[in-house]
Amino acid sequence: MSGRHTGEQHSHTVEGTDPQLYVQVHEPQNDAGLRPVLLLHGFSSSSKLNWEDSGWLTALLEAGRRVITVDLPGHGRSGAPEDMDSYSPSRIRADLLQIVFDAGARPLRDGDPSSGLDVIGYSLGSRLAWEFGATQHELVHRLVLGGPNVADPLADFDLIAAQRYLADGTPIADESTAGLLKMAMLLPSNNIFALLSLVEAIKTEPYDPAEAVPHMPMLLVAGENDDRAASMPELAALGAKAGGMVEQLVLPGRNHTNAITSRAFKQGAISFLGV
Amino acid sequence: MAEISFPLPDLGEGLIEATVLEWLVSPGEQVERNQPLVEVETTKSAVELPSPQAGKVVRIYGGPGDKINVGEPLIVFEVPDNTAGIVGTVPKEEAPKRRVRLSAVLDED
Repeated sequence: MSGRHTGEQHSHTVEGTDPQLYVQVHEPQNDAGLRPVLLLHGFSSSSKLNWEDSGWLTALLEAGRRVITVDLPGHGRSGAPEDMDSYSPSRIRADLLQIVFDAGARPLRDGDPSSGLDVIGYSLGSRLAWEFGATQHELVHRLVLGGPNVADPLADFDLIAAQRYLADGTPIADESTAGLLKMAMLLPSNNIFALLSLVEAIKTEPYDPAEAVPHMPMLLVAGENDDRAASMPELAALGAKAGGMVEQLVLPGRNHTNAITSRAFKQGAISFLGV
Repeated sequence: MAEISFPLPDLGEGLIEATVLEWLVSPGEQVERNQPLVEVETTKSAVELPSPQAGKVVRIYGGPGDKINVGEPLIVFEVPDNTAGIVGTVPKEEAPKRRVRLSAVLDED
């Protein structure tokens, strides 16, 4: 179960402005002596919803893993900065690098199982993890990517329509935009305008998994009823072509929303990262 | 021995029901407090409910895909008589992590 942990708004700045990210480091009661695990949640979610309430944090701590959780900008207990730059994926990756370093992660060293960092992402968190792994190969040991996209659903988000809808209720024609906005508005804790800033920033840096490919071992996981299960082999092929070992896990009967609590997902991830 | 029944807890604002995704325990099984019991899905998210109680599982309600209303029975435990009452068990060292609390509906006897 949970041991000591510290929570704070991260304040070690990389780019001169404070990204106001809420970071928690969770210590296991019986440390397995392995590298820390960074958890990256999905769009419109939070560390609490994506990783705590779903049972991930407990499962990882019980496996003796030290866990670092970060709420993305505008999400959970992180701040909602006004400048667009705070939301750009490249800026978020730079902040994450500083955060894990401050939390004690160190570059991989041969024969030292406590060196390096494992990363588990879900959805948008998987996109960030893919890019983080591709650019930080001296640090990242293994990746687990849940509900991973091959293209960015946020890149086609109709921001103008969303803003009109929020201003005066004008219906949104684009189905994907309407669905994403509905999901974002379901949670009263979400700062809708910060989430729209994130979408806008992402549109300036759309996801292209082929642009930079992680070389470390990867486990790709999706629910059978998640469209992303069908496109997972494309990501796997990219990883394999780059020389990485890639495993895939499809969760029977699950979709993009309810795959997250799956025991098979947690156990698969814990055993994949337990080396 | 006594039986303690726990209803589906309030899972947050405005949520009146949840759908069972998968039970992680079965009748006859001895469970520890805080051990994951069941995965359920609401209109907002999927959550794993930890056990509010140590004891032997007597009954579980609802299979995968079944809806359960908040407040309706979810699980029944069998516990030694002396732990069912006010005397209670010695609290565990760690603080419960979740905001969601299951509350006991004690059998009237």
